[in-house]
Amino acid sequence: MTTPAVRRPVGAVLAIGTGLGVALLALGVVQMVAAGTGPLDRPFPPFEPDRLVPDLLALRGRGFLSLGLLVVILTPASRVLASLIGFALERDRRMVAVALAILAVIGLSALLGASLGVGV
Amino acid sequence: MAQLLLLIAGGAAAGIFGALLGLGGGILIVPLLNLGFGLPLRESIGASLICVIVTSSAAASVYLRRDVANLRLGMTLELFTASAAMAGGLIAFVLPDRVLAVMFATLLLLVAATMARDIRRAPVLESPTPRPATQGISLEPAPPGVSGEAHDGFLASLSGPGYRVRNVGLGVAGSLLAGLVSALFGVGGGIVKVPVMNLVMGVPLRVATATSNLMIGVTASAGALVYLYRGGIDPLVTAPAALGVFAGASVAARLADRVDARVLRVLFVAVLLFTASQMALKGLS
Repeated sequence: MTTPAVRRPVGAVLAIGTGLGVALLALGVVQMVAAGTGPLDRPFPPFEPDRLVPDLLALRGRGFLSLGLLVVILTPASRVLASLIGFALERDRRMVAVALAILAVIGLSALLGASLGVGV
Repeated sequence: MAQLLLLIAGGAAAGIFGALLGLGGGILIVPLLNLGFGLPLRESIGASLICVIVTSSAAASVYLRRDVANLRLGMTLELFTASAAMAGGLIAFVLPDRVLAVMFATLLLLVAATMARDIRRAPVLESPTPRPATQGISLEPAPPGVSGEAHDGFLASLSGPGYRVRNVGLGVAGSLLAGLVSALFGVGGGIVKVPVMNLVMGVPLRVATATSNLMIGVTASAGALVYLYRGGIDPLVTAPAALGVFAGASVAARLADRVDARVLRVLFVAVLLFTASQMALKGLS
Protein backbone atom coordinates (compact mmCIF):
# COMPACT_ATOMS: atom_id res chain seq x y z
CA MET A 1 0.00 0.00 0.00
CA THR A 2 0.97 3.63 -0.30
CA THR A 3 2.64 5.35 2.63
CA PRO A 4 0.95 8.32 4.36
CA ALA A 5 3.88 10.49 3.21
CA VAL A 6 2.61 10.07 -0.35
CA ARG A 7 -1.14 9.82 0.31
CA ARG A 8 -1.60 12.91 2.48
CA PRO A 9 -0.12 15.54 0.16
CA VAL A 10 -1.96 13.95 -2.76
CA GLY A 11 -5.27 14.13 -0.86
CA ALA A 12 -4.52 17.74 0.10
CA VAL A 13 -3.88 18.67 -3.55
CA LEU A 14 -7.27 17.22 -4.51
CA ALA A 15 -9.10 19.04 -1.71
CA ILE A 16 -7.44 22.40 -2.45
CA GLY A 17 -7.92 22.05 -6.22
CA THR A 18 -11.59 21.18 -5.86
CA GLY A 19 -12.23 24.04 -3.44
CA LEU A 20 -10.44 26.54 -5.67
CA GLY A 21 -12.17 25.31 -8.85
CA VAL A 22 -15.63 25.42 -7.28
CA ALA A 23 -14.96 28.90 -5.84
CA LEU A 24 -13.88 30.22 -9.26
CA LEU A 25 -16.93 28.69 -10.95
CA ALA A 26 -19.16 30.25 -8.27
CA LEU A 27 -17.50 33.66 -8.88
CA GLY A 28 -18.10 33.22 -12.60
CA VAL A 29 -21.78 32.42 -12.00
CA VAL A 30 -22.16 35.53 -9.82
CA GLN A 31 -20.60 37.60 -12.59
CA MET A 32 -22.96 35.96 -15.09
CA VAL A 33 -25.96 37.00 -13.02
CA ALA A 34 -24.60 40.52 -12.56
CA ALA A 35 -24.07 40.88 -16.32
CA GLY A 36 -27.58 39.60 -17.05
CA THR A 37 -26.26 36.56 -18.92
CA GLY A 38 -28.50 33.49 -18.86
CA PRO A 39 -27.10 29.95 -18.76
CA LEU A 40 -28.81 29.04 -22.03
CA ASP A 41 -27.79 32.19 -23.93
CA ARG A 42 -26.23 31.43 -27.31
CA PRO A 43 -23.54 31.46 -28.54
CA PHE A 44 -21.71 30.52 -25.36
CA PRO A 45 -18.19 31.93 -24.83
CA PRO A 46 -15.68 29.45 -26.28
CA PHE A 47 -12.55 28.48 -24.38
CA GLU A 48 -9.77 30.79 -25.59
CA PRO A 49 -6.52 30.46 -23.60
CA ASP A 50 -5.20 33.72 -25.06
CA ARG A 51 -8.08 35.67 -23.54
CA LEU A 52 -7.81 34.14 -20.09
CA VAL A 53 -5.47 36.69 -18.48
CA PRO A 54 -7.06 39.81 -20.04
CA ASP A 55 -10.53 38.57 -19.00
CA LEU A 56 -9.35 37.92 -15.44
CA LEU A 57 -7.67 41.32 -15.20
CA ALA A 58 -10.87 42.96 -16.42
CA LEU A 59 -12.85 40.85 -13.87
CA ARG A 60 -15.05 39.44 -16.63
CA GLY A 61 -17.22 36.46 -15.78
CA ARG A 62 -15.93 34.39 -18.67
CA GLY A 63 -12.40 34.70 -17.24
CA PHE A 64 -13.47 33.19 -13.91
CA LEU A 65 -15.50 30.50 -15.65
CA SER A 66 -12.62 29.51 -17.96
CA LEU A 67 -10.09 29.48 -15.11
CA GLY A 68 -12.53 27.53 -12.92
CA LEU A 69 -12.96 24.90 -15.64
CA LEU A 70 -9.20 24.67 -16.11
CA VAL A 71 -8.54 24.30 -12.39
CA VAL A 72 -11.20 21.58 -12.09
CA ILE A 73 -9.85 19.69 -15.11
CA LEU A 74 -6.21 20.02 -14.04
CA THR A 75 -6.76 19.12 -10.38
CA PRO A 76 -6.47 15.35 -11.08
CA ALA A 77 -3.29 16.03 -13.10
CA SER A 78 -1.92 17.99 -10.13
CA ARG A 79 -2.71 14.97 -7.99
CA VAL A 80 -0.63 12.82 -10.35
CA LEU A 81 2.22 15.35 -10.15
CA ALA A 82 2.08 15.28 -6.34
CA SER A 83 2.15 11.46 -6.47
CA LEU A 84 5.14 11.58 -8.81
CA ILE A 85 7.08 13.73 -6.34
CA GLY A 86 6.09 11.46 -3.44
CA PHE A 87 7.09 8.29 -5.26
CA ALA A 88 10.33 9.89 -6.47
CA LEU A 89 11.24 10.72 -2.86
CA GLU A 90 10.59 7.07 -2.01
CA ARG A 91 12.73 6.02 -5.00
CA ASP A 92 9.84 4.03 -6.47
CA ARG A 93 10.92 4.11 -10.11
CA ARG A 94 8.01 2.07 -11.41
CA MET A 95 5.37 4.44 -10.00
CA VAL A 96 7.36 7.48 -11.14
CA ALA A 97 7.27 6.05 -14.68
CA VAL A 98 3.52 5.39 -14.38
CA ALA A 99 2.92 8.95 -13.17
CA LEU A 100 5.00 10.40 -16.01
CA ALA A 101 3.08 8.31 -18.54
CA ILE A 102 -0.27 9.52 -17.16
CA LEU A 103 0.87 13.14 -17.36
CA ALA A 104 1.99 12.51 -20.94
CA VAL A 105 -1.46 11.15 -21.84
CA ILE A 106 -3.16 14.19 -20.27
CA GLY A 107 -0.79 16.52 -22.11
CA LEU A 108 -1.43 14.67 -25.36
CA SER A 109 -5.21 15.05 -24.85
CA ALA A 110 -4.79 18.82 -24.57
CA LEU A 111 -2.49 18.93 -27.60
CA LEU A 112 -4.81 16.83 -29.74
CA GLY A 113 -7.87 18.84 -28.71
CA ALA A 114 -6.08 22.14 -29.39
CA SER A 115 -4.67 21.04 -32.73
CA LEU A 116 -8.03 19.74 -33.97
CA GLY A 117 -9.81 22.94 -32.92
CA VAL A 118 -13.52 23.53 -32.42
CA GLY A 119 -15.45 20.55 -33.68
CA VAL A 120 -19.03 20.93 -32.44
CA MET B 1 -32.49 33.64 -13.33
CA ALA B 2 -35.13 30.90 -13.17
CA GLN B 3 -33.11 28.79 -15.61
CA LEU B 4 -30.00 29.27 -13.50
CA LEU B 5 -31.77 28.16 -10.33
CA LEU B 6 -33.31 25.19 -12.12
CA LEU B 7 -29.88 24.15 -13.39
CA ILE B 8 -28.38 24.35 -9.90
CA ALA B 9 -31.35 22.47 -8.42
CA GLY B 10 -31.21 19.82 -11.16
CA GLY B 11 -27.48 19.40 -10.59
CA ALA B 12 -28.05 19.11 -6.85
CA ALA B 13 -30.72 16.44 -7.35
CA ALA B 14 -28.39 14.48 -9.65
CA GLY B 15 -25.59 14.88 -7.10
CA ILE B 16 -27.75 13.62 -4.22
CA PHE B 17 -29.19 10.72 -6.20
CA GLY B 18 -25.83 9.74 -7.67
CA ALA B 19 -23.94 9.89 -4.38
CA LEU B 20 -26.62 7.98 -2.44
CA LEU B 21 -26.56 5.19 -5.00
CA GLY B 22 -22.78 5.12 -5.30
CA LEU B 23 -22.81 6.44 -8.87
CA GLY B 24 -21.32 9.59 -10.26
CA GLY B 25 -23.83 12.24 -11.22
CA GLY B 26 -23.00 11.82 -14.91
CA ILE B 27 -25.58 9.19 -15.69
CA LEU B 28 -28.25 11.71 -14.64
CA ILE B 29 -26.65 15.01 -15.68
CA VAL B 30 -26.44 14.12 -19.37
CA PRO B 31 -30.19 13.34 -19.76
CA LEU B 32 -31.07 16.30 -17.53
CA LEU B 33 -29.21 18.75 -19.76
CA ASN B 34 -30.09 17.07 -23.04
CA LEU B 35 -33.75 16.23 -22.47
CA GLY B 36 -34.56 18.77 -19.76
CA PHE B 37 -32.73 21.86 -20.99
CA GLY B 38 -32.46 21.05 -24.69
CA LEU B 39 -28.67 21.20 -24.77
CA PRO B 40 -26.96 19.31 -27.62
CA LEU B 41 -25.87 15.85 -26.52
CA ARG B 42 -22.14 16.50 -26.88
CA GLU B 43 -22.32 19.68 -24.79
CA SER B 44 -24.32 17.76 -22.17
CA ILE B 45 -21.60 15.13 -22.07
CA GLY B 46 -18.88 17.80 -21.81
CA ALA B 47 -20.66 19.48 -18.89
CA SER B 48 -21.17 16.12 -17.23
CA LEU B 49 -17.44 15.33 -17.40
CA ILE B 50 -16.72 18.49 -15.39
CA CYS B 51 -19.38 17.58 -12.81
CA VAL B 52 -17.91 14.09 -12.53
CA ILE B 53 -14.37 15.46 -11.96
CA VAL B 54 -15.59 17.80 -9.21
CA THR B 55 -17.38 15.06 -7.24
CA SER B 56 -14.61 12.53 -7.81
CA SER B 57 -11.84 14.88 -6.66
CA ALA B 58 -13.77 15.90 -3.54
CA ALA B 59 -14.51 12.30 -2.54
CA ALA B 60 -11.07 10.96 -3.51
CA SER B 61 -9.32 13.41 -1.18
CA VAL B 62 -11.27 11.91 1.73
CA TYR B 63 -10.72 8.33 0.54
CA LEU B 64 -6.96 8.93 0.38
CA ARG B 65 -6.83 10.60 3.78
CA ARG B 66 -8.61 7.58 5.29
CA ASP B 67 -6.51 5.10 3.32
CA VAL B 68 -9.49 3.46 1.60
CA ALA B 69 -8.34 3.97 -2.01
CA ASN B 70 -5.39 2.01 -3.41
CA LEU B 71 -3.29 4.76 -5.04
CA ARG B 72 -0.75 2.44 -6.73
CA LEU B 73 -3.41 0.24 -8.29
CA GLY B 74 -5.52 3.25 -9.26
CA MET B 75 -2.63 5.03 -10.95
CA THR B 76 -1.52 1.90 -12.79
CA LEU B 77 -5.01 1.32 -14.19
CA GLU B 78 -5.80 4.97 -14.88
CA LEU B 79 -2.94 5.10 -17.34
CA PHE B 80 -5.20 2.92 -19.50
CA THR B 81 -8.53 4.58 -18.62
CA ALA B 82 -7.03 7.99 -19.49
CA SER B 83 -5.60 6.74 -22.80
CA ALA B 84 -8.96 5.27 -23.78
CA ALA B 85 -10.77 8.41 -22.59
CA MET B 86 -8.59 10.51 -24.88
CA ALA B 87 -9.56 8.24 -27.79
CA GLY B 88 -13.21 8.31 -26.66
CA GLY B 89 -13.20 12.10 -26.63
CA LEU B 90 -12.00 12.13 -30.23
CA ILE B 91 -14.50 9.46 -31.32
CA ALA B 92 -17.40 11.35 -29.68
CA PHE B 93 -16.90 14.24 -32.11
CA VAL B 94 -17.06 11.91 -35.09
CA LEU B 95 -20.18 9.95 -34.13
CA PRO B 96 -23.54 11.35 -35.26
CA ASP B 97 -25.77 12.64 -32.42
CA ARG B 98 -28.39 9.98 -33.13
CA VAL B 99 -25.91 7.14 -32.74
CA LEU B 100 -24.58 8.68 -29.53
CA ALA B 101 -28.15 9.03 -28.18
CA VAL B 102 -29.00 5.37 -28.90
CA MET B 103 -25.70 4.25 -27.35
CA PHE B 104 -26.42 6.36 -24.26
CA ALA B 105 -29.91 4.84 -24.00
CA THR B 106 -28.31 1.38 -24.09
CA LEU B 107 -25.94 2.39 -21.29
CA LEU B 108 -28.91 3.62 -19.22
CA LEU B 109 -30.68 0.29 -19.72
CA LEU B 110 -27.56 -1.60 -18.61
CA VAL B 111 -27.28 0.52 -15.46
CA ALA B 112 -31.02 0.05 -14.80
CA ALA B 113 -30.66 -3.73 -15.16
CA THR B 114 -27.68 -3.77 -12.77
CA MET B 115 -29.57 -1.61 -10.30
CA ALA B 116 -32.72 -3.78 -10.56
CA ARG B 117 -30.66 -6.87 -9.79
CA ASP B 118 -29.15 -5.09 -6.78
CA ILE B 119 -32.61 -4.26 -5.40
CA ARG B 120 -32.99 -7.93 -4.46
CA ARG B 121 -29.39 -8.41 -3.43
CA ALA B 122 -28.59 -5.35 -1.31
CA PRO B 123 -31.39 -4.02 0.86
CA VAL B 124 -29.13 -1.57 2.66
CA LEU B 125 -27.26 1.25 0.94
CA GLU B 126 -23.60 1.59 1.56
CA SER B 127 -22.84 4.97 2.99
CA PRO B 128 -20.94 7.14 0.50
CA THR B 129 -19.00 8.43 3.48
CA PRO B 130 -15.65 6.68 3.39
CA ARG B 131 -14.89 4.33 6.24
CA PRO B 132 -11.47 3.23 7.43
CA ALA B 133 -9.71 0.98 4.94
CA THR B 134 -9.43 -1.81 7.42
CA GLN B 135 -13.20 -2.07 7.96
CA GLY B 136 -14.53 -5.23 6.37
CA ILE B 137 -11.07 -6.29 5.26
CA SER B 138 -9.00 -8.94 6.90
CA LEU B 139 -5.83 -7.58 8.44
CA GLU B 140 -4.01 -10.86 8.03
CA PRO B 141 -0.84 -10.69 5.99
CA ALA B 142 -1.19 -11.18 2.25
CA PRO B 143 -1.11 -14.83 1.15
CA PRO B 144 2.23 -16.53 0.60
CA GLY B 145 3.74 -15.92 -2.79
CA VAL B 146 2.96 -12.23 -2.83
CA SER B 147 6.62 -11.45 -2.94
CA GLY B 148 9.40 -13.28 -4.69
CA GLU B 149 9.70 -13.18 -8.44
CA ALA B 150 9.57 -9.91 -10.34
CA HIS B 151 5.99 -10.44 -11.52
CA ASP B 152 4.87 -11.33 -8.04
CA GLY B 153 6.72 -8.28 -6.75
CA PHE B 154 4.75 -6.09 -9.12
CA LEU B 155 1.44 -7.67 -8.05
CA ALA B 156 2.45 -7.33 -4.41
CA SER B 157 3.12 -3.62 -4.88
CA LEU B 158 -0.45 -3.21 -6.18
CA SER B 159 -2.00 -5.32 -3.42
CA GLY B 160 -3.20 -4.24 0.00
CA PRO B 161 -3.75 -5.60 3.48
CA GLY B 162 -5.61 -8.90 3.25
CA TYR B 163 -5.93 -9.10 -0.51
CA ARG B 164 -3.70 -9.87 -3.45
CA VAL B 165 -4.34 -8.34 -6.83
CA ARG B 166 -4.62 -10.84 -9.70
CA ASN B 167 -5.54 -10.82 -13.41
CA VAL B 168 -3.93 -7.45 -14.13
CA GLY B 169 -4.30 -8.07 -17.88
CA LEU B 170 -8.07 -8.31 -17.57
CA GLY B 171 -8.00 -5.26 -15.33
CA VAL B 172 -6.22 -3.33 -18.06
CA ALA B 173 -8.84 -4.45 -20.61
CA GLY B 174 -11.63 -3.35 -18.26
CA SER B 175 -9.88 -0.03 -17.71
CA LEU B 176 -9.69 0.62 -21.44
CA LEU B 177 -13.43 -0.05 -21.75
CA ALA B 178 -14.18 2.16 -18.73
CA GLY B 179 -12.17 5.04 -20.19
CA LEU B 180 -13.96 4.79 -23.50
CA VAL B 181 -17.37 4.72 -21.79
CA SER B 182 -16.41 7.71 -19.64
CA ALA B 183 -15.46 10.01 -22.52
CA LEU B 184 -18.21 8.85 -24.88
CA PHE B 185 -21.02 9.29 -22.34
CA GLY B 186 -19.72 11.78 -19.76
CA VAL B 187 -19.81 9.29 -16.89
CA GLY B 188 -17.23 8.07 -14.40
CA GLY B 189 -17.09 4.52 -15.73
CA GLY B 190 -17.44 2.98 -12.26
CA ILE B 191 -20.05 0.59 -13.62
CA VAL B 192 -17.20 -1.16 -15.48
CA LYS B 193 -14.26 -0.57 -13.13
CA VAL B 194 -15.79 -1.61 -9.82
CA PRO B 195 -16.96 -5.08 -10.95
CA VAL B 196 -13.69 -5.68 -12.81
CA MET B 197 -11.54 -4.76 -9.80
CA ASN B 198 -13.78 -6.59 -7.33
CA LEU B 199 -14.73 -9.77 -9.20
CA VAL B 200 -11.81 -10.19 -11.62
CA MET B 201 -8.86 -8.66 -9.78
CA GLY B 202 -9.78 -9.73 -6.25
CA VAL B 203 -9.94 -6.24 -4.74
CA PRO B 204 -12.41 -5.87 -1.82
CA LEU B 205 -15.57 -4.00 -2.86
CA ARG B 206 -15.00 -1.01 -0.59
CA VAL B 207 -11.43 -0.54 -1.85
CA ALA B 208 -12.55 -1.09 -5.46
CA THR B 209 -15.26 1.57 -5.13
CA ALA B 210 -12.87 4.10 -3.58
CA THR B 211 -10.10 3.34 -6.08
CA SER B 212 -12.55 3.65 -8.98
CA ASN B 213 -13.61 7.02 -7.61
CA LEU B 214 -9.98 8.13 -7.41
CA MET B 215 -9.41 7.09 -11.05
CA ILE B 216 -12.46 8.97 -12.34
CA GLY B 217 -10.77 12.37 -12.04
CA VAL B 218 -7.79 11.60 -14.30
CA THR B 219 -9.94 9.58 -16.70
CA ALA B 220 -12.56 12.29 -17.09
CA SER B 221 -9.96 15.06 -17.33
CA ALA B 222 -8.28 13.36 -20.33
CA GLY B 223 -11.66 13.33 -22.09
CA ALA B 224 -12.66 16.78 -20.81
CA LEU B 225 -9.54 18.43 -22.27
CA VAL B 226 -10.54 17.22 -25.73
CA TYR B 227 -14.10 18.48 -25.18
CA LEU B 228 -12.86 21.84 -23.83
CA TYR B 229 -10.59 22.63 -26.77
CA ARG B 230 -13.08 21.31 -29.33
CA GLY B 231 -15.85 23.61 -28.04
CA GLY B 232 -17.82 20.85 -26.31
CA ILE B 233 -18.01 22.51 -22.89
CA ASP B 234 -20.45 25.39 -22.41
CA PRO B 235 -19.20 27.26 -19.30
CA LEU B 236 -22.54 29.06 -18.81
CA VAL B 237 -24.35 25.76 -18.29
CA THR B 238 -21.49 23.73 -16.84
CA ALA B 239 -20.63 26.06 -13.94
CA PRO B 240 -24.11 26.13 -12.31
CA ALA B 241 -24.63 22.41 -12.95
CA ALA B 242 -21.26 21.58 -11.37
CA LEU B 243 -22.01 23.78 -8.34
CA GLY B 244 -25.34 21.98 -7.93
CA VAL B 245 -23.79 18.52 -8.21
CA PHE B 246 -21.05 19.47 -5.72
CA ALA B 247 -23.64 20.75 -3.21
CA GLY B 248 -25.90 17.74 -3.79
CA ALA B 249 -23.11 15.22 -3.26
CA SER B 250 -22.13 17.01 -0.03
CA VAL B 251 -25.73 16.88 1.25
CA ALA B 252 -26.02 13.19 0.32
CA ALA B 253 -23.29 12.28 2.79
CA ARG B 254 -25.58 13.53 5.58
CA LEU B 255 -28.72 11.84 4.18
CA ALA B 256 -27.23 8.40 3.61
CA ASP B 257 -28.35 6.84 6.89
CA ARG B 258 -31.93 8.17 6.69
CA VAL B 259 -32.86 6.97 3.22
CA ASP B 260 -34.68 3.73 2.39
CA ALA B 261 -32.29 2.10 -0.05
CA ARG B 262 -34.88 -0.15 -1.69
CA VAL B 263 -37.29 2.69 -2.44
CA LEU B 264 -34.45 4.80 -3.79
CA ARG B 265 -33.24 2.04 -6.10
CA VAL B 266 -36.75 1.30 -7.41
CA LEU B 267 -37.27 5.00 -8.07
CA PHE B 268 -33.89 5.24 -9.77
CA VAL B 269 -34.58 2.26 -12.03
CA ALA B 270 -37.90 3.87 -13.04
CA VAL B 271 -36.13 7.17 -13.82
CA LEU B 272 -33.45 5.37 -15.83
CA LEU B 273 -35.99 3.38 -17.85
CA PHE B 274 -38.02 6.51 -18.64
CA THR B 275 -34.86 8.43 -19.57
CA ALA B 276 -33.58 5.56 -21.71
CA SER B 277 -36.85 5.46 -23.65
CA GLN B 278 -36.71 9.22 -24.24
CA MET B 279 -33.09 9.09 -25.39
CA ALA B 280 -33.79 6.13 -27.66
CA LEU B 281 -36.82 7.90 -29.16
CA LYS B 282 -34.71 10.97 -29.76
CA GLY B 283 -31.99 8.93 -31.42
CA LEU B 284 -34.30 6.83 -33.56
CA SER B 285 -36.83 9.48 -34.59
